[in-house]
Amino acid sequence: MKFKHRLALVFLMVLIMFLLHNSFWLWDLDARMPLLFGFMPFAFSYYIFYAILSVLALKLIVKLAWPDPPAEFAAQVGESEQAQ
Amino acid sequence: MNNLPGILILAIYFLILVAIGVFGARATKKTREEYFMAGRGLGSLAIFMTLFASNITAFTIIGYAGFAYHVGFGAYGYVIGWSIFITPFTYYLVGYRSWLLGKRYGYATQPQVFGGILKSPLVAMLFLMLLLYYTLPYLVVSIIGGSLAFSTISNGVVPYWLAALALICVSLFYTLPAGMRGTVWTDIFQGTVFMTVAVLLLFAVAQSLGGFSALTNRIILENPALLQRSLSPAIVPINWFSFAFTNSIAVIVFPHMFTRILAARSTTSLKKTSLYYPLAMAGIFAISTLLGVWGAVSIPGLIGKESDNIVPLLIQQYLSPTWMILGLVVILAIVKSSIDSQLLSVAHLVTDDLLPRFRKVSNQQAVFWGRIFLLVFAAAAFYISLIRPAAILSIAAFAFSGFSVMLPVMIAALYWPRTNKYGAAAALIIPAIMLHLWYLNVLPGWTSFGFMPVFPAFVLAIVILVVVSYLTPAPSMEQRTETFGVFDEVFR
Repeated sequence: MKFKHRLALVFLMVLIMFLLHNSFWLWDLDARMPLLFGFMPFAFSYYIFYAILSVLALKLIVKLAWPDPPAEFAAQVGESEQAQ
Repeated sequence: MNNLPGILILAIYFLILVAIGVFGARATKKTREEYFMAGRGLGSLAIFMTLFASNITAFTIIGYAGFAYHVGFGAYGYVIGWSIFITPFTYYLVGYRSWLLGKRYGYATQPQVFGGILKSPLVAMLFLMLLLYYTLPYLVVSIIGGSLAFSTISNGVVPYWLAALALICVSLFYTLPAGMRGTVWTDIFQGTVFMTVAVLLLFAVAQSLGGFSALTNRIILENPALLQRSLSPAIVPINWFSFAFTNSIAVIVFPHMFTRILAARSTTSLKKTSLYYPLAMAGIFAISTLLGVWGAVSIPGLIGKESDNIVPLLIQQYLSPTWMILGLVVILAIVKSSIDSQLLSVAHLVTDDLLPRFRKVSNQQAVFWGRIFLLVFAAAAFYISLIRPAAILSIAAFAFSGFSVMLPVMIAALYWPRTNKYGAAAALIIPAIMLHLWYLNVLPGWTSFGFMPVFPAFVLAIVILVVVSYLTPAPSMEQRTETFGVFDEVFR
C-alpha cells in the first residue's frame, strides 16, 4: 500500500476517535449503566476504555505510517552533526 | 508544620534536586546544542517523562480538581478525553516530521523550523512573537497557581510571595547551570514523585472516607447530578465539541514541548512516548477527578473558585500532617516541572531567534546569554505574579486557544507543499486578532455561532491559509525539495 493511502487510513482513525469522544448519544447511559468495579460511573469508565483504545489506535498508526528513517538518512545526519 | 518525618521528606526532596543540578551542570558542555537541547540525546524514558511532567501543571491538581468538584465525573471526558488520544498523535503528526528536519538542518525551535521551511524571516518572527506572547502569561499563571496551593497547604506558614520566590529559585537552581539536561533529569525525578505520591494520596483519601464504592454510593444518594453529563450546564455538547480545539491540540505548539521533541535521540523514543502517553494522562487526571468529585460530597458548599483548593482541603481535613508535606511535594513537583521548562524555552527562543538579529552570537556566548535571559524572565515572572495584572491574566485565559490556532500553519507547512509564506503569515495574524476580539468581547457572541471562539478561529486559520496561499506565488521547486525531499526519503 502506498504511503498516502496509509496516511488516509490514519486520518480515518483520527476521525473515528474524534466521533467516539463526541459521542453525545451515549450520555443517556450515564444514569443507566452499572458501576465498573463498583465505583466507576459510565461518564468516567468510558474514558478509561477510551485510553486503552487510544493506545491500540496509536500502535496501529505507528505500524502503518511511522517508518524509521533509512540508514542513509542516519548517515547524513551524522555528517551534518559533525559539520556543526 | 512541626512534623519531623514531613520536614525530612521535604529536605530529601530538595537535596535530590540540588544534586541533580550539580551533576547536570557537570554533564553539560557549554555549547548551544548541549545547553538548550541536551545534545539531542534524550532517550525513551527521558523524553516520555519530560513531556509528561512538563505537560502537567498546577491546573491538574488545583483548577481541574476544582472543576470536577462542581461538574462531576463528566469533567474527565470534557477536559482530558480528547487529549488522551490527540496529544500523543500530534507528536507523530507534527513532532516526527519536525524532528526529521531538526536532525537534517539543525533546527531547534518553531521559528527555525517553520521560518526555515517557508524561507521567511517574517513567519519566523511571527512564531517567535506569538509564542512569547502566549507563553509568558501561561508561565505566570502556573507560578500563581502553584504558589497559592503551596501557601494553602502550608496553612499560611509560607506566605504567597515566599512560595512564588521558592518555586522560581529552586527551578533556577538546576536550570541555570544544567539547561535542558537539568530540567529533564528533574522531570524524571519529579514526574516519578508526583505520580507515585498522587496514587498513594488517592488510596489514603479513599480509605479515610470509607472506600471507593462507599464514596460513589454517597454521591448517588447526595448529589447524583455529578454522575450524569447531561445534567451539567458547564458541559453542554457545543462546549464539549469546541473544547476539543483548546487544550489538547495546543500541547504540541507549546515551545517547551516542541523543542523537547526535537531533542529526542531516536524515532524509537518518540514512538514509545506516544504509546505510553494516553495511559499516563488518563491516570493522573483520573486521580484528580476522583479527588475533586469526592470533595463535593465530603466538603460540600464551596462556591466558585473556592473549590480550586479542594485537594489541599481534603488532605488538611482527612489525613495526617505528614500527608500535608507529601501533598506539598506533589504540588511543588508538578509546578516546578512545568515552569522550569517554560522558563528555559522562552530564554532559548530569545537567545536563538531574536538576539542573532541584533548581534553575532557564538556557541558559548549563546549559553551565557541564555542564562542571562533565564534570570531576566524569572525575575519578570516573579514580579508579575506578585502584582497579578488583569491584562496578563486575561491573556492567559485564552493562551491555550492562541497556541491552538497556530497549529494549522504548522501542519500545512509539513504536509502541503503549496503552503507559502504569505498564507502562513496571514493565517497566524488574522486568527490571533479575531481571538482577541472575541475574548475581549469586542465582537458580539453570536459571531462565533455559539461555539467557543477557538473553533471558528481554527477554521478561519485553515481557510485563510489555503485561500491566500493559492492567490499568491507558489514556493519554488528548490524550496519545496529542501523540506519534502527529506520526507520522501523516509515516508515511502
